[in-house]
Amino acid sequence: MSNSSANILDIKNIEVRYDDVILALHDVSLKVPKGKVVALLGANGAGKSTTLKAVSTMLASERGKVTNGSIEYDGNSINKQTPSQMVGLGMVQVLEGRRCFGHLTVEENIISGAYSRKLSKGDINQELEKIYTYFIRLKERRKSQAAFTSGGEQQMIAVARAMMAKPKMLLLDEPTMGLAPQLVAEIFNIVKELNTKEGVSILLAEQNTNVALKNSDYGYIIETGRVMLDGTAQSLLNDDKVKELYLGISKKGRKNFRDVLKEESLTKRSN
Amino acid sequence: MVDELLFFMEVVVGGLLAGTMYSLVALGFVLIFKASATFNFSQGAMVFFSVLAFCGFMQDFNIPFVLAFILAALLMVVVGLCTERFVLRPLMNASEDTVLMATIGLGYVLEGLAQAAWGVEVRRLDLGIGDFPVPWIADNLKLFISALDIFAGLVAALMIIGLFLLFKYTKIGLGLRAVADDAGAASSIGIPLKHIMLLVWSAAGVVALVAGCMWGARAGVQFALVDLALKALPVLIIGGFSSIPGAIIGGLIIGATEKVLEVYIGPFFGGAIEGWAPYVLAIFFLLYRPEGLFGEKIIRRV
Repeated sequence: MSNSSANILDIKNIEVRYDDVILALHDVSLKVPKGKVVALLGANGAGKSTTLKAVSTMLASERGKVTNGSIEYDGNSINKQTPSQMVGLGMVQVLEGRRCFGHLTVEENIISGAYSRKLSKGDINQELEKIYTYFIRLKERRKSQAAFTSGGEQQMIAVARAMMAKPKMLLLDEPTMGLAPQLVAEIFNIVKELNTKEGVSILLAEQNTNVALKNSDYGYIIETGRVMLDGTAQSLLNDDKVKELYLGISKKGRKNFRDVLKEESLTKRSN
Repeated sequence: MVDELLFFMEVVVGGLLAGTMYSLVALGFVLIFKASATFNFSQGAMVFFSVLAFCGFMQDFNIPFVLAFILAALLMVVVGLCTERFVLRPLMNASEDTVLMATIGLGYVLEGLAQAAWGVEVRRLDLGIGDFPVPWIADNLKLFISALDIFAGLVAALMIIGLFLLFKYTKIGLGLRAVADDAGAASSIGIPLKHIMLLVWSAAGVVALVAGCMWGARAGVQFALVDLALKALPVLIIGGFSSIPGAIIGGLIIGATEKVLEVYIGPFFGGAIEGWAPYVLAIFFLLYRPEGLFGEKIIRRV
């Protein structure tokens, strides 16, 4: 590409193995342009989380390794970085399953996100107030123990906590997992706001294909560790295959996954 | 009647104060348990190692008391540093059981090093505070309470307050509590685990040194200190492995009950029941309240 600095993240043909044996990603390439939201879609076990962890370098703590290909963040290879160094460089991952610090209060959880930054008490409070403008709900619950907040609130805590690190780029791993539709919309609204107002680039892994694409600029669909399809969010939403396989909508009405597979194998055989 | 009541009081107060010495040892365990979720079997060896080094500095090199204490504390920070670098970091992704076994090994290494460096004979440690009743209290309240016990109680109280402030109000304290809850999530937001481990092991080392000084002054600085640390086990079972106040209160409970049981029930068993009575108490706690009095209940939303 002529202008590589237009991409904050550039993953080229990575292969990832766990325990030096289990091949989790075969060949994944993707780009996140600066200031954009990119959705990484796929079913359970497709390799979404692995891809995000490869980027945030959290793979090592799960005995995973990038065995081939390269990852460039902000123009530099991320080969030898540790997760805390990546946070220092402005790349923060929000892990799957929220992972709040249950015994800490909501506010302590959020403040802990600023750990890597050298801020005075006053600066922290100022940042906190700014964060609360996005997460109004959390301000009301600032003194409660995080473990006793609802799933949606915990997801907000996790994102707010990540925002306290002042990221240039956020990696969101299934932010809407197990949440009611209304909350899903609320979370995505916040994500969009953070993207537009704070200029944070976002790579998000989701199973909720429809909502994710509607809130993204670009999308990648991965299956068994390979990118199957990519394109602008709009084009994917209109793609027949995506509609059938991931949105459950086809010209003939609703269909389940097995029907689609059966149909595909029939057409393959007839070819 | 009054005499009997006074005697009972004396037993209880003496037991409570002696219990603070258990609390001090237990405190070291709690610190490490919070950060690594591991029972540190080398804590007893750390007590022995640190106080023997302290005595060695004073008696073999004629270093003044305060300076020797600071040197011994620094030495424990170095031990913490080495532990983080050579034991914990290579085992970063290993299971908790593996780390547990590693702490047993570390214990033997420390015991060996301590004896290789400073010899095996029992040393006397004089803190300048005698292990005999304070005359003023004996005269006015008619209670015979050891000055060393009172001193240990004060030191324990100060350490608790210090640690509480450290955890509650400092940045690194917040980091530690975050790691204690979810080490993976903590590292995902840039809390460097190795700094936290270093802090915790150093703090546990200094706590071990203080506990060692108290016990050393009472019983002599000797190898038996290693086993004495095991008394912390019932303290932790009662107080809760992850709770600092629990370690303190557990220590007090163990201290008081073992003395009361020894005095009033001991004769029926031929005496010396304080050696095993705390463990019986611990068994009851394991049966009916396994998280201890103050242990953090595992909070799980369903």
